[in-house]
Amino acid sequence: MHRYIPIILYFVSLLLILGCENTYYDDYTKMEVQQLDKDLENRWSTSGVIVKNVTQNGPANKADLLEGELISYIIGEYPINSSADFKRAIKKAIAKDNNLLLYIKEKPPIRIAIRQMGDKVGIEVDDKNTVQIKHIIPGTPASNNPDIKVGDIIDKIEDERKIFSLSDYKDSITEFAKMNTEVKFRTSELIGVKIASITALGNLGDARAVNPLIDILENNPELSLRKSAVKSLEKLVILSGLNPLFTIYREQNVNQLPVDSLDLKLRESAEILGLIMIDPIAKTATLEAPFGIQFRRRSDQLYKQVNDGELVEVAEKHIQLSTEPDQEIRRACLSIIGILKPETSIQPLINVLIDNNEIPGIRFQAGLGLSRIGNPSVDSLILVYHEADDAGKDIIVSSLGTIGGQIARDFLIKTLESTDDPAIQLTLVDAIAKIGDRPSLIALERQRDRFQEDDSAIRIFLDEVFNSLSLHNTNETPN
Amino acid sequence: MRRACLLIGLIVFILGCGNQNEHLAKGKELIKSDKRRKEERAVREFKLAIDIENNNAEAHYLLGFYDSQEYYDINQSDWNNASIAKRGQHMYKAYQEDPSEYLEILIFDTLRDDDVNVQNAALEALTLVYQQGDRKQLLKQLEKAIKSNDNRDRHDAHWVMANIGKSDPSTIVPLLIELLKHKQMGTRLNVVKALGEIGSEDAIPVLATIIDSGSAKRQSDREEPEVRQLAVAALGKIGGKAVPELVKITQNKGSSLRVDAIRALSTLGDEKAVQPLLDALEEKSSREVVVNFQN
Repeated sequence: MHRYIPIILYFVSLLLILGCENTYYDDYTKMEVQQLDKDLENRWSTSGVIVKNVTQNGPANKADLLEGELISYIIGEYPINSSADFKRAIKKAIAKDNNLLLYIKEKPPIRIAIRQMGDKVGIEVDDKNTVQIKHIIPGTPASNNPDIKVGDIIDKIEDERKIFSLSDYKDSITEFAKMNTEVKFRTSELIGVKIASITALGNLGDARAVNPLIDILENNPELSLRKSAVKSLEKLVILSGLNPLFTIYREQNVNQLPVDSLDLKLRESAEILGLIMIDPIAKTATLEAPFGIQFRRRSDQLYKQVNDGELVEVAEKHIQLSTEPDQEIRRACLSIIGILKPETSIQPLINVLIDNNEIPGIRFQAGLGLSRIGNPSVDSLILVYHEADDAGKDIIVSSLGTIGGQIARDFLIKTLESTDDPAIQLTLVDAIAKIGDRPSLIALERQRDRFQEDDSAIRIFLDEVFNSLSLHNTNETPN
Repeated sequence: MRRACLLIGLIVFILGCGNQNEHLAKGKELIKSDKRRKEERAVREFKLAIDIENNNAEAHYLLGFYDSQEYYDINQSDWNNASIAKRGQHMYKAYQEDPSEYLEILIFDTLRDDDVNVQNAALEALTLVYQQGDRKQLLKQLEKAIKSNDNRDRHDAHWVMANIGKSDPSTIVPLLIELLKHKQMGTRLNVVKALGEIGSEDAIPVLATIIDSGSAKRQSDREEPEVRQLAVAALGKIGGKAVPELVKITQNKGSSLRVDAIRALSTLGDEKAVQPLLDALEEKSSREVVVNFQN
């Protein structure tokens, strides 16, 4: 007995070593597959094997299977030529995961699932010339499916095997290769990697990222990727806005400048984004390495890429509820337009503002975008005022108040003097007070006289406006 | 006569000693009590104890431990004397007077205190030990702490080693690398963290080896996922020459650490990451591929 111990030990250790191998060369498809890292298996519900190497001109190579793809399923077919084939195929197909795909002639594939091992699928067949369903057992999964009928001709059975480990892969491919000349692989995308890459590209502020991100926003079917892409585009737009600041560093060919020589708002943004470091004692703003120093060189390129028109066009499309069902994406696109302030966006923004199917927050954001564009928006805002609903009117008035100027002011005063709607009156007073020039104050005085005997909300509000204005003036008068 | 003089001298000495420690004892009593502003009052006593007996280790330690700038007006000289640096100096003085006792106290007790200022004062003191005291003994104790079964000791030791290592990486980094062989995962975790915080590029190869071990053929050769994940974060902190290693991880499609590496690259802001990230976006989406064995 003792003399067998070394031999047994040898085989046990061989088994252990082989069991721990994490790659396998598949001779059927001529490719090497690799077990996923153990710790990856629990992330993002991922399972499968990774294609490590594909042999040139082998079957996998000819099928265009690529290195790095994650094989999550192997799908094999059982051809059915006799009732014995059918019984064997059913038994094998449900053995691992209790479900199979049944292909009936001239019908779409039907998925059948049994509750537990040992349950019957519920189909009995006849095989004269073809394999035909002769009886469906009541109370079985087959009887619950109205598409399965007596007399149907069975074509084939497909077995989808989810791959968890290298040995799952080995077993499945060996089994399917014995019965068939081909096999189907279903690959999965590692969404987490793509989301992280998209986010990182937004943070890195490189012009090369703009078009690929637009492409994802426009064409990718995966919502999570589209959301990440639009957020990264928004970040790139913010970074491109720092170009004037970085131009100063670039033109002077320095990495450090006195804080006072830089625009306050821009330098604060750059500091928050980790591009510059401000020393409050030395009063210097130094470019951070490597991000700030590298960005000095390429901020101009990013600025040009962001402002070349394509991004604005895409954003204008995706702010419309009719084109973009996801509100996060619509919001991010509105934010992009709000930063870039293109005049071409006035009409698309107006469309959002007056769309009463849109949620109020987004309509308000559209109004904010129009305010940022400023004077060029005034005519369009005035034009749609009367066709807008109450919420729309409110936003329009508020936007005109923010933009200011003679045309906006005159329109607001005229509207205030002609409306009896108390809700809009308040917004109008607020907007006119925001403009705050002499004609505006005179107009508000007139309104105060108009509501002299009244203790309505508008009268109280007007009093508050004048109180705050007089307080403001008192604070300014000492000089 | 001579004997009588000696006896009187001895009595005076003993009484004198009693007087010298009186403030210290009072201060300690105050700390134990539940009196109002007990720490502030105790600090006054510790100062008096030091005035009388400048080499009293305990008084110095307790003053370093309990003093605080909160007790003084910013214009007072005491405010400056209660800075973290000064408190650390008092703790170091305690060590100088009684090295074996206070080295252990500083590492295994003081660093564990909840008050961040106390922890920082202990760090100051230990840095002084490293610079001026028995460096060998300090490193021995820190090694003991980082190998400890208690997570708090391991964490504190990593923190001190990382801080000392920033100014003297050539001594600390090799020591830490050696500690990566330790059987306890908690020790290795803290060592990796310290290497990242030191930020020395000398640690890059060993961190890369740890990360690569994830695809080792044998289970026994693979480092634990938590340690490998931290090793990626450590490369992210080192930056500079670590960027190509992070890019390599990003390109290893079977690696579980791709996302960690991408995040680290994103924080570093190095443009070398852009192309590999764009390549990652090009990777095929989910699809079905038919492979014919006879082809």
